[in-house]
Amino acid sequence: MNSIIITRAGTHSTIQDFGRFQYQHLGVSPSGAMDQRIITELQKIIPNHQNQFLEFAYVGPSIKVKEGSVKICVGGNCNMSIQKNNNSQLECQPYKSINLFEGDELIIHNTIDSVYGYIAFEHGLGLEPCLNSYSTDTKAGIGSINRPLNDEDIFHISKDVSSWDLISIPIPDLEKVTNFKVYPGPQLQYFSDNTLQSFISGVFTVTNQSDRMGIRLKGESLISSKSHDILSEGILPGSIQVPSDGQPIVLMRDIPCTGGYPKIAILNEVDISRISQLPPETKITFDLQTIY
Amino acid sequence: MYFKGINSYGDRGLVLDFGNETSKSISQEVNETFLNISNLSLQSLNIIPSFNKIVVIFENSKIRDQNKDKISMKMKDTKSQTNKNVTKTWEIPACYNEDFALDIKIIQKLHQITKEEVINLHSSVRYYTYYIGFMPGFPYLGDVPSQLITPRLATPRVKIPARSIGIAKNHTCIYPKVSPGGWNIIGQIPFDIFDLQSSYPSLFLPGDEVKFYSVSLSEFEKIRKYNFSLNELIKEYSS
Repeated sequence: MNSIIITRAGTHSTIQDFGRFQYQHLGVSPSGAMDQRIITELQKIIPNHQNQFLEFAYVGPSIKVKEGSVKICVGGNCNMSIQKNNNSQLECQPYKSINLFEGDELIIHNTIDSVYGYIAFEHGLGLEPCLNSYSTDTKAGIGSINRPLNDEDIFHISKDVSSWDLISIPIPDLEKVTNFKVYPGPQLQYFSDNTLQSFISGVFTVTNQSDRMGIRLKGESLISSKSHDILSEGILPGSIQVPSDGQPIVLMRDIPCTGGYPKIAILNEVDISRISQLPPETKITFDLQTIY
Repeated sequence: MYFKGINSYGDRGLVLDFGNETSKSISQEVNETFLNISNLSLQSLNIIPSFNKIVVIFENSKIRDQNKDKISMKMKDTKSQTNKNVTKTWEIPACYNEDFALDIKIIQKLHQITKEEVINLHSSVRYYTYYIGFMPGFPYLGDVPSQLITPRLATPRVKIPARSIGIAKNHTCIYPKVSPGGWNIIGQIPFDIFDLQSSYPSLFLPGDEVKFYSVSLSEFEKIRKYNFSLNELIKEYSS
């Protein structure tokens, strides 16, 4: 038996996978990793990840091997080091597999000029799925662990590391994007041509009131010529909704399942991952596509 | 037929449009269509019905476009639009005891009626489940009798107890678990309606009919102690 203990939980550390689907008509949000590009890359290094990825934001977690040994890989742009059992310190990098032995502690300090990072564990973390997914929705209390991770959480990984060979991939090109192509939203016609012009030519700032549910933007007010209150309807991540204060919100992975605000536009799937990595105060612009 | 057509929702979604009005007959068509297209085995990630729309979500635009024709064909095929007998009719015990009926006085005062009248009116109607949303397993039921129509609370409550029955505008609901919310709370039911251990976790489904019947506090506590599973609840309280 191998086991690890969370020695410092970090901020907003949760278990995520590629999402929980087929339940949104019962009020269950899709959730899943905010930046799905990174867990897609980590699959190349740790193919047997069992869909149990640890997601962290800003401040990373520290994990210590309590018993046995584990093979892991970190994804994202982050500062980290390994405190060995014999008190020596080891450098380590994202997208390179790491072998950790009893007493070793991986310390992820923080993400650099980005928000989210991930850890993949060979053979997963010994968790059971909840509604066919390992993703956590902390607000709804759904997940194989239905809350953020805490200090002292322990995970048991029954299978031993398959091979100590070090595997790495070139650091993926996850360049920072601040101009987003968007498609017309279902309520595009709720906004006048002038307001749409402000949406396209305006600069919006990511605010710190952003989380797994949505990214709140600050910029020129986008007031609807019709109404900011529509009959609730199904929504999907990436939708840009505009409540009555005119400040747009990009809906992210833990969306409410139906929503009553007009949606001016919607991002494509990969741009949801891209926008999730923009820290507060980042300035962004939108480019409305007419063909979709 | 209220169905108006199929529109795109970004690069990977579709919206089946049933107009801008809301009524039980529109919802019945929405929910029958929901069952029909759920049975098409589409390569969809989610199919989400609401008052007058169905949103269908796919992984990408290619899969979306491949599946759009299947939905269009099904919508034209008027002969086999049958899927009516899969929904359930529920008789749900409700305790309107003052310990649970946190906002019943607001409704009494607004409509100048007694507590007994609120209870009799609320439990006199067979409600229709418009859809499930807001939080896991939360049913939007309606319509409440006109003498009970009440706006949301001016200041939403931070913590509504689990299993609470609420009224807002012409709808009534049950909160599956503790939640913030703005509905007027008038009672509580004695069992959970959402169970993560079950492969089909929600007691109510869109299109189900729900009728409440009033039970005393001691009867409520007796049922509460049984700790029914979802399957037992289906046997005990639905037909």
